[in-house]
Amino acid sequence: MNGCPKGEEWVAYVAGEVAPRLHRMLAAHLDVCPACRREVEDLARGLEALGALAHEPPLRPEAMERLRRRLRVAAAHPPSPGGLRRTSPPARPRVVRLFVRYGWAAAAAVLIAAALLWHTAAPDQATLPLGNHHAEAIEEIAAAIELLDLADNGTRSERLDRLPGGGAAEEIHLFLELDDAGLLLDYLLSQDGLRG
Amino acid sequence: MSHGPEDTDAPKEERLVALAPRVYGFLVRLVGNRETAEDLTQETLLRALRGFAAYRPEGKFRAWVFRIATNAARDWIRRRPREPALGLETDADAPLPGTVGREPPPEARLLAGERIARVEAALARLSEPDREVLLMRYYGELEFKDIARATGEPLGTVLARAHRALKKLANLVPQGEEK
Repeated sequence: MNGCPKGEEWVAYVAGEVAPRLHRMLAAHLDVCPACRREVEDLARGLEALGALAHEPPLRPEAMERLRRRLRVAAAHPPSPGGLRRTSPPARPRVVRLFVRYGWAAAAAVLIAAALLWHTAAPDQATLPLGNHHAEAIEEIAAAIELLDLADNGTRSERLDRLPGGGAAEEIHLFLELDDAGLLLDYLLSQDGLRG
Repeated sequence: MSHGPEDTDAPKEERLVALAPRVYGFLVRLVGNRETAEDLTQETLLRALRGFAAYRPEGKFRAWVFRIATNAARDWIRRRPREPALGLETDADAPLPGTVGREPPPEARLLAGERIARVEAALARLSEPDREVLLMRYYGELEFKDIARATGEPLGTVLARAHRALKKLANLVPQGEEK
């Protein structure tokens, strides 16, 4: 009908997002226009139908917990001004330098083996053969990898997507592909999970 | 102690954690896959944490986070051209084209049954940008002007999308089903 408000205005009206003066004008129009009344009823029905999604699909508790941990780790390890990668790391004790040079690969290999054992022996995570201590350490490594990944590419690595399956073992494989193992080791050494 | 997303005194990671369920709900209905939505939720919130300095307090925090979530979903959809996001599979009718094999949310179905399934089916038939507007409105509890800011589209375009989407939703959910 000519002279009727546009559909967009009715959307804003139904959503309660119009200024009081415009609201009064639109309400007055509804009193005299059956076509617009039907339009508003349709839009209200659409909005109300959307309300059926009140029971949103919940985030699984384990996914929520993983998210909490990763955010906590990320907040505790803010990137350096030039990003996560450092070009000139500060001097470290000799034992740490040696470990940075050679030990990270061994540590990663052990962790990969442990993670693979975990995956092979118990695909259901409810029965982890590893202690919680190690499982948590692996989780922390996965979180650190995620951070390096984000800093590196600005998005989740496609390399990770290409790996079969998912989980810590694959993410640890990714760690081996990362250049900045020294920084990752710094992070690992700072974690209680790997000190002892 | 838990914090809300708009609690500016709370640690930023707590504000983001508080938004996680809604961001996930938005993403799972946008990409139609629970595992992908979990990954994208994590990616969204980590990006938000890392980019916190870019957030301007004059804008709504939720709108800013949903903008990041929208971009993450769009990136994912672009990387998956053969699997366009169509929403969750429903059992109200025959499976929707392109949705066979998608993971349905069993909890949601158990809780709200056929009514939710019908709305999901209707949502799945919307175009991606139209669905995006409705989902941001619902899960982000954002006003349309905030959605315009989050999507980078003019307010008129967002309202036109909402108009088209709501009309389709009303037509696809028969009268009386919405009660």
